[in-house]
Amino acid sequence: MPKFLTIFRRELAAYFTSPIAYLVAFAVLLLTGLIFNNDLAQRNGHQSTDGTIVLSWFAFFTLFFAPLITMRLMAEENREGTIELLMTLPVNDSDIVIGKFLGAWAYYTIILAITGIYQVITVWLSPPDVGTIIAAYIGLWLYGGAALAVGILFSAITENQIVAGFLGLAAMLILWLADQVGTIVNNRTLAVLARTFSFQSHYVYSFALGLVRFDDIVFFVGVIAALLFTTTRVVESRRWR
Amino acid sequence: MIQVEHLTKRYGGFTALSDVNFNAEPGEILGFLGPNGAGKTTTMRILTGYMPPSEGTAHVAGFDVLKDSIDVRRHVGYLPETVPLYPDMTVRGYVRYIADLRSVPHAGDRVTEVLKTVGMYERRESLIRSISKGMRQRVGLAQALVHDPEVLILDEPTIGLDPHQTLEVRDLVRDLGKSHTVLFSTHILSEAEQVCDRVIIIDKGQIVAIDAPQTLRDRLQQGGRLFVRVAAQAEPKAVIKKLSGVAAVSSVEPFGDGYTITASAAADIRARLASTIISAGWDLLELRPLAMSLEDIFLELTTSTPQSSKEGKRRA
Repeated sequence: MPKFLTIFRRELAAYFTSPIAYLVAFAVLLLTGLIFNNDLAQRNGHQSTDGTIVLSWFAFFTLFFAPLITMRLMAEENREGTIELLMTLPVNDSDIVIGKFLGAWAYYTIILAITGIYQVITVWLSPPDVGTIIAAYIGLWLYGGAALAVGILFSAITENQIVAGFLGLAAMLILWLADQVGTIVNNRTLAVLARTFSFQSHYVYSFALGLVRFDDIVFFVGVIAALLFTTTRVVESRRWR
Repeated sequence: MIQVEHLTKRYGGFTALSDVNFNAEPGEILGFLGPNGAGKTTTMRILTGYMPPSEGTAHVAGFDVLKDSIDVRRHVGYLPETVPLYPDMTVRGYVRYIADLRSVPHAGDRVTEVLKTVGMYERRESLIRSISKGMRQRVGLAQALVHDPEVLILDEPTIGLDPHQTLEVRDLVRDLGKSHTVLFSTHILSEAEQVCDRVIIIDKGQIVAIDAPQTLRDRLQQGGRLFVRVAAQAEPKAVIKKLSGVAAVSSVEPFGDGYTITASAAADIRARLASTIISAGWDLLELRPLAMSLEDIFLELTTSTPQSSKEGKRRA
């Protein structure tokens, strides 16, 4: 079995032995559940149902819980000294980072998959535009991966999980709100540039509307690849300190 | 098995290791002895492929630590100073995880075997967070042994253990030394003396002595020292004067309730001393050679060597 799969399996299993992971899943599902229920109640009989409302909120919540999922990934190894063991095993540094990232992404995917219950209810009540919902899920999954990649980078640079969590959260807020730059700066070029790097603009104004565009997919996949590469370099830099 | 040549490691402006050379033969237990911060851990981290040296080369099991880092890591079992454990895993789950990362064939059987070797098989389903410090140390050892490495590198494996556990770990290391090359560090001198075939004494990043513990002691003990005690009726000044007159005695100093006498050459002066004391009319209560322990050797080598005064600015 490839080394990163061994690490992936251990990381995914670790989520299910820690109470924090259950609490995160519980909180996310409780919040989205309330929003879903509220949305249905408001629309009752007046409007057709829309399965993507709850997903837009899920995207917003991801800002806050993605750093919670990833903060321990590298920071805990740094603090406990287990990183020294991992780095003296016949395993490439990239295997460590990729395995851990995939573990977090799989956990995120499980939480995301649970929201599928809302879609089942929506379909049962009145069939919505299923294509839009599928597009939103694809986008949410990719965007979540990018958010986790941001988190793992900050987890690698510190030994303190709380610091990793806060830095990840701050970075995510900046990346999410970057497209608002256009409303405060009087410079079109700068606004367009900022918007290019905004996670929100690549999700809310495309996948969430039912658009699966090649450039948005490339954006999120590229962000994930670039951040994992940087994280690997950060981990590697421990050898030179 | 281990060849280290001109190894130097700098952290910024600070030199942690400078020009370190040593070898370890297959099946040898090599003790790495030195005060805290002497460079023991740094050397071990270089040998295990954790960090590259600034200068010099090191080969482990025939592989270069810089060029064939992955091959080196494949042939080395390493127990760092802080035992690297995941508290949320079970003992067996943890050792199995490491075995899988090391691609150990028949990992399940091998894990069982190695847990029996370190005496943790009965506690295999316990969570690591719930076991005692001594047990954690043994789980750490199991992890280092699981792939049956040619070279074992153990960084202070007995630190923080109670005397009983310390003995167990020492016995285990001695057993392992029969079939593996073991490099282990300690700052407990008696431990090095009991367990090792050879001892490397390192201080401030430099090797001050490499030899068998026995040879080290002999080498520093030319010119025997004796301890003499006479009954209290004798006037100390008179005793010193009288004994200094004995042939081949180079110095007599009061020490506790007796005197230490240093002979100038390897001459045996015991008979002459005894007859001198008796003929002076004093009662001879005790006359014994003073054996220099590894402790004394260590202090002598690591406090006032010429290098250490020159490099005095380095971290102690």
